[in-house]
Amino acid sequence: MTSPSTGPKPGPGPAGAPGRGRRPGLRPGAPAGLRTRWWVGWAFAAPALAAYAVFVLWPMVLTAQYSLYQWNGIGPSTWVGLDNYGRVFTDPELLDTILNAIRLIVFFSVIPVLLGLAIAATIRRIAASRLAVVARTVVFVPQVIPLVAAGITWSWLLSSDGLVNQLLSAIGLGGVTRAWLGDLSTALPAVGVIGAWVQLGLCTLLLLAGMSRIDPALYEAARLDGAGPLREFFSVTVPSLRQEIGVCVTVTVISALASFDIIYISTQGGPGNSTMVPGLEIFYQAFSDREIGVASALAVVLMALVLLCVLPVQRLTRERP
Amino acid sequence: MIVGKREAWTGRVFLVLLMAFTIVPFISLFVTALHPSGSYPSGLEWPSEPRWGNFADAFRAAHMGDLLWSSTLIVLGVVPVSLVLATMAGFALGHLRMAGRHLVFLMFVLGLTLPFEGIITPLYYLVRDMGLLNTRWAIILPLIGLFMPFAVYWMRAHFINLPDDLSEAAQLDGANVWQLFWRVHVPLAAPAISSLAILLFLWTWNQFLLAIVLVDDPAKRTMAGALGAFQGQWGTDIPLLCAGSLLILAPTLIVFLIFQRRFVSALLQGSVKG
Amino acid sequence: MTRSISRREAALGFLAIAGTLAVGCGGPGGGGSRPSGTSPSPSAAPTIGTEPVTLKAYFETGFPLARALTDEFTRQFPNVTWDIREDQFAVITQNAPRVLADDPPDLMRLPQVSELVGDGLLLNLDGYAEVFGWSDWPPSQLEQLRVGEGGRPRGEGSLYAMGLNFSMTGVFYNRTLAERIGMAAPPATLAEFDDLLASAKAAGIVPIVQFNGGATGGFAFPLQNLMAAYGAAGPINDWIFQKPGVTIDTPSNLAAVRHLQEWIEAGYFDADANAMEYAQMMSTFMAGDALLMFNGDWESGNLDGEMPGEVGFFLMPPAEEGGPVATMSAPLTYGISANAAHPDEAAFFLDWAATDERAREIVVEVGGSHPMGLPDAHMPDVAEDSVTGQTLAAGARIAEDDGAMDFIANATGSVYAKGWTPQLQRLFAGDQDPDGLLAAVQSEYEIEAGS
Repeated sequence: MTSPSTGPKPGPGPAGAPGRGRRPGLRPGAPAGLRTRWWVGWAFAAPALAAYAVFVLWPMVLTAQYSLYQWNGIGPSTWVGLDNYGRVFTDPELLDTILNAIRLIVFFSVIPVLLGLAIAATIRRIAASRLAVVARTVVFVPQVIPLVAAGITWSWLLSSDGLVNQLLSAIGLGGVTRAWLGDLSTALPAVGVIGAWVQLGLCTLLLLAGMSRIDPALYEAARLDGAGPLREFFSVTVPSLRQEIGVCVTVTVISALASFDIIYISTQGGPGNSTMVPGLEIFYQAFSDREIGVASALAVVLMALVLLCVLPVQRLTRERP
Repeated sequence: MIVGKREAWTGRVFLVLLMAFTIVPFISLFVTALHPSGSYPSGLEWPSEPRWGNFADAFRAAHMGDLLWSSTLIVLGVVPVSLVLATMAGFALGHLRMAGRHLVFLMFVLGLTLPFEGIITPLYYLVRDMGLLNTRWAIILPLIGLFMPFAVYWMRAHFINLPDDLSEAAQLDGANVWQLFWRVHVPLAAPAISSLAILLFLWTWNQFLLAIVLVDDPAKRTMAGALGAFQGQWGTDIPLLCAGSLLILAPTLIVFLIFQRRFVSALLQGSVKG
Repeated sequence: MTRSISRREAALGFLAIAGTLAVGCGGPGGGGSRPSGTSPSPSAAPTIGTEPVTLKAYFETGFPLARALTDEFTRQFPNVTWDIREDQFAVITQNAPRVLADDPPDLMRLPQVSELVGDGLLLNLDGYAEVFGWSDWPPSQLEQLRVGEGGRPRGEGSLYAMGLNFSMTGVFYNRTLAERIGMAAPPATLAEFDDLLASAKAAGIVPIVQFNGGATGGFAFPLQNLMAAYGAAGPINDWIFQKPGVTIDTPSNLAAVRHLQEWIEAGYFDADANAMEYAQMMSTFMAGDALLMFNGDWESGNLDGEMPGEVGFFLMPPAEEGGPVATMSAPLTYGISANAAHPDEAAFFLDWAATDERAREIVVEVGGSHPMGLPDAHMPDVAEDSVTGQTLAAGARIAEDDGAMDFIANATGSVYAKGWTPQLQRLFAGDQDPDGLLAAVQSEYEIEAGS
């Protein structure tokens, strides 16, 4: 629930949704909740549907349509079939953006989830203390501020004169200091660190909330079996948190694949295209290079890629009824 | 449960480290904002003469007054309408359960994972053809549509858990569905609606992509979009940029600190819900 | 149960969408094509009149010249007010087509113009050139602003933009540091230039501070200077103007990139170059932390103000002593949107900036560069040893040697952002070799310029 650029993220999402929360047996076999005329429900849903259809569904159709044409946004367009998709998958410049987005998953998703798990497990026992209550507020701040602001802040921290290098020099690592966002080999990880910073607090708190719902009896049973903290973690905590982990992964993976704000602000895709991601490339292709067709083909690929990554996660972590 | 002393202490240390990791960037931003405008200070270094005036300069340079007003107008345009539309649709899908609801719901679910970049290009031409480019409507109208999947999803989850008896009783009293909705269900849904309001406020206020693509004039953008413009214009003056960023951050931070409990629980639920 | 229904419905939904798509009419944007290259044909030079008018302008941040001129203009013509938006140049480059098409300014700082002309976004200024008498100016001033039918080649054809001045680039040096390493006079050959860099390095001084970060690869400055030292300016200009059959991947240019690579490997550039923005370079140079900086005379006024007497300027020396010198020189390009609301007033302003005495003084004092216009037009007095004085003199030398080139970054709309910048950043990082660099830039160029 974090990245303003991509807006709302689903929870357990599509597959888990239908029927969840419904109480079987309450109204067995009843097709409609209330005795109303058939069109009343549609009338209630219609305004939302209309807004959604005009500003989301229709543009989705248009994106797919644009992707089959060569068009500069001004003059007439030419039908090119699947050529634009061919370019997306063969032009290294475009293909690399997709690979970069996938690499970002490590930082936006894997690290915050793993680190969040470790931290949550460590602070689980003092989750009710006053310090923890304060911490709940503090670690949420990155979720609340615009990602643009996170980008600006960290661009400064990671610059050659920034705090990160200052700290490294202070602990005797002056040799590795560099302009982290300006170095071909470190720019992508550096952008990733910004994402990790944004996501870590949310993941930690989500997982902590999940842990507080785990039945203490499970832990006691494990201790009686002679399990140490480590085995306890893997045999009790992690399995019980399957759903929360699924949520964290879903939200953060989407924010990695659809990243735009942070990169637009901190590197503009450079140096040497090393941090170019699909979102930014779409923006450049569509509005600077006026290659509406290529931009749209990449957009379709991006939307498909998000679904492709999110659906398996849903499937794996869904709560079995 | 008795907590081991050592366990508690490691817990505290981790907490403090986590908080430091979160806060230190802001401290660096703040300290840098106090350096002379146009200089390149290094990292965390308290300036010899703190320039508090930088904040005033940034306030003027960023036209903060206009920005606040603009963002407020956009939020007022987006949030109430979205809440009404989503609550009605959630009611229809979760409670009235009309025929064909699965298809409708599925269409909304389809939009849940949508990256905004996926449709930004056609949105631009759509908004242009409506003659709304460079107006606040260019942000407001698409955002309402883009928020629908999540908002409807959220409200449906509330209504689907509601027992039907309630409506049945009210219906026996002769209330029609419209009255039933406003008099019984909306008040009951208040907690769900207010949490949703918080989330929508935040996402609107922080919306960046739509703002920079659809509106050129920073004074008609959202806060985040305006910050992008501020960086585009003043990005070369680090202290001023830091001061401006802090000013632009401040409103959300203040609202967050006031409503922090609701915020945290809304954000946590917002992720889990559904 | 629920799930199987959902799936069937999902399939139906997708089919419905696909169906709409298949049926859905022709391609986008067919109908409303704009007339490209509309040209107003005024019968007499337009005037400003007395009606209140607000001109919409889009300027580059960080360069005070445009605003100084608009302020003076409003002083002289109080009925004119300005609605000015500013962005950094990289942002303007990204926004240019969109802004010109859909939010047309009357006056705008322009990036490379070929595609903008090709898309019919810029006003053809031939009519104004006629009535204002711009056609009598030295043709070289306006050459780069002329574009052929449909966007190429550049360098001939109709006039689509104007300059507020014409600026020129070269090497600025810090006099104190130069003295310390015993530089008596500016280097006269490339070999002497190399010696200078080596002695600065040996003395523990950063030889060159040059920005190369973000979306702007500033190494294009030294590179193009090296290209001109190794080869003739003509073919480079032809490439920039998109003349048919010209490539940047030539032996002499390859030698130039190799030379640049040697400088990089010798550690002659500030180590953070790939993260350095333009303003950071200026701040480093002005703090006295580097000997040299490749930059343009638009900073002359600024340097005279901030470091009076401290800064010298020279043109990149040729390979052989006494050979012809060449460097990048280009008008500070401004244009009028094809859909501008007040094209006459904007054109009047552009003419005024080149002909009004006070405006010309501002162009020199604030902008540091030579004003446009007739060679014998009014010029303010400038101290010879000031930076401004030195750059103006260097400009005369370039005119003598016919050594003005446009900037290699201006060859196409995106060859800078997508060719030069990433490739030069990779060269600096040791991730690209000279052959690969030129080949990659050429292929990016051909995507846009056709071949």
